[in-house]
Amino acid sequence: MATIALPGDVVAVPDDPAALRLGPGLTQLLGAVTAVKAGLVCEDSGNRLWLNASQKRYIPSVGEPVLAVVQAKHAENFRVDIGGPHPALLPVLAFEGATKRNRPNLDVGALVYARVSLANKDMDPEIECVNPATSKADGFGELKGGTVVKCSLGMCRSLMAKNSPILEGLSSLFPFETAIGMNGRVWINAETTRQIVLAANFIRAADGAPPSRIPSMLKALKKRVEETDDGDDMDADS
Amino acid sequence: MSRELLAPEGLRVDGRRPPELRRLLTRVGLFAVADGSAYVELGNTKCLAAVYGPKEPRTQSAQLHDRAVINVEYNVASFSSGERKSRTRRDKRLLEIASVIKRTFEPVVMTATFPRSEIDIYIQILQLDGGALHAAINASCLAMIDAGIPMSDYVVACSAGFASGTALLDLNYIEESAETPALTVAMLPKSGKLTMLNMESRLHLDHFKDVLDLATEGCKSLAESLDEAVRKACKTPRPI
Repeated sequence: MATIALPGDVVAVPDDPAALRLGPGLTQLLGAVTAVKAGLVCEDSGNRLWLNASQKRYIPSVGEPVLAVVQAKHAENFRVDIGGPHPALLPVLAFEGATKRNRPNLDVGALVYARVSLANKDMDPEIECVNPATSKADGFGELKGGTVVKCSLGMCRSLMAKNSPILEGLSSLFPFETAIGMNGRVWINAETTRQIVLAANFIRAADGAPPSRIPSMLKALKKRVEETDDGDDMDADS
Repeated sequence: MSRELLAPEGLRVDGRRPPELRRLLTRVGLFAVADGSAYVELGNTKCLAAVYGPKEPRTQSAQLHDRAVINVEYNVASFSSGERKSRTRRDKRLLEIASVIKRTFEPVVMTATFPRSEIDIYIQILQLDGGALHAAINASCLAMIDAGIPMSDYVVACSAGFASGTALLDLNYIEESAETPALTVAMLPKSGKLTMLNMESRLHLDHFKDVLDLATEGCKSLAESLDEAVRKACKTPRPI
């Protein structure tokens, strides 16, 4: 049974305190494990204890995939916004097959799917568009078309879980592609503009809805998808 | 003057007993745009707080290399009190209250986790019936928790005054403007430590302990209500 901890609450520690690893939201104050945020205390078999808190502001952490928006182009890197306390740096060479002669062509305002490579509280965070192990893009890089939905961090984590009911439900209605950033941003692209808008609105509405309501929301969405769109000229130019 | 504040039957101007708090109403997470927000109603005093941060400081000079800077902007709406009174942003009184609130939160928020960033708290008083300072602190605390900014403990605040030989808890506008000594206290409920003590009038030292004790008792009961409010907000389903 998950317990709710509030800032200042001392959290009960499982049997083997020496091997305990504290995750986000918990810290050691005056020798006791104390919560510094409000949330649910979670633990897993690997002796890890953390707090699942709902939050909008993203605090970067190494290895997490994020959706970044290019703010400025410098000589050696791009300055991007990842929704955190500081803008991040994306080195020009951190793309698959990029060399000094062959630079990626990103404009200001472009959307990029990248992973956080450096996240230190004293420095500006850095992101990269390659998988460091294989030096291949592996899905990272610029994202074209589609739309971005801003949601809470908890929602992004649940979307990234295996068999997320929201994504499975959507996939049964129409094919789409998605990139989920741990920084509270989700990118959706589908064949028609109408589908993109429906999917984006659905995700926005599902953020904060209890899990029991998702099936009924999916049913309502299914009806809207199957509606014939005469008089609907969103796709007039395609 | 003091006789009017406390009737012989022991009732105050609004019908409360001396150690009674006003009704507390809270709502957390109102604004979609702000990182954290809260609304607190303490009797007839209504206060809104929005927190943005931690984020990039507006000016390069406004950052500290080893911790986050907390900025507070405190506004009182011109329609909030009985007479319409429009105050400019640079009103000294408002700046002073903002500075008090900033210093209240600085020891509690774990600012060392976010060097070179700033945390902005915007407070708006919508209706003024006394106790604006402690309503603002309570609303800001809830907004900080809603924003997920790490704090080592809650901050709860309450005011107490002294009239007709009795200590009164949670003063309203009539009691505050009647020149009774008013003490506002901000406390960390788990450890019992005080993070702010504010009094602008004179109070005899003999009575000070009673007033302080009553104010801290008031803080403890408010802490229980705020605790419940946050637990309820945590329980409302957000996908995990």
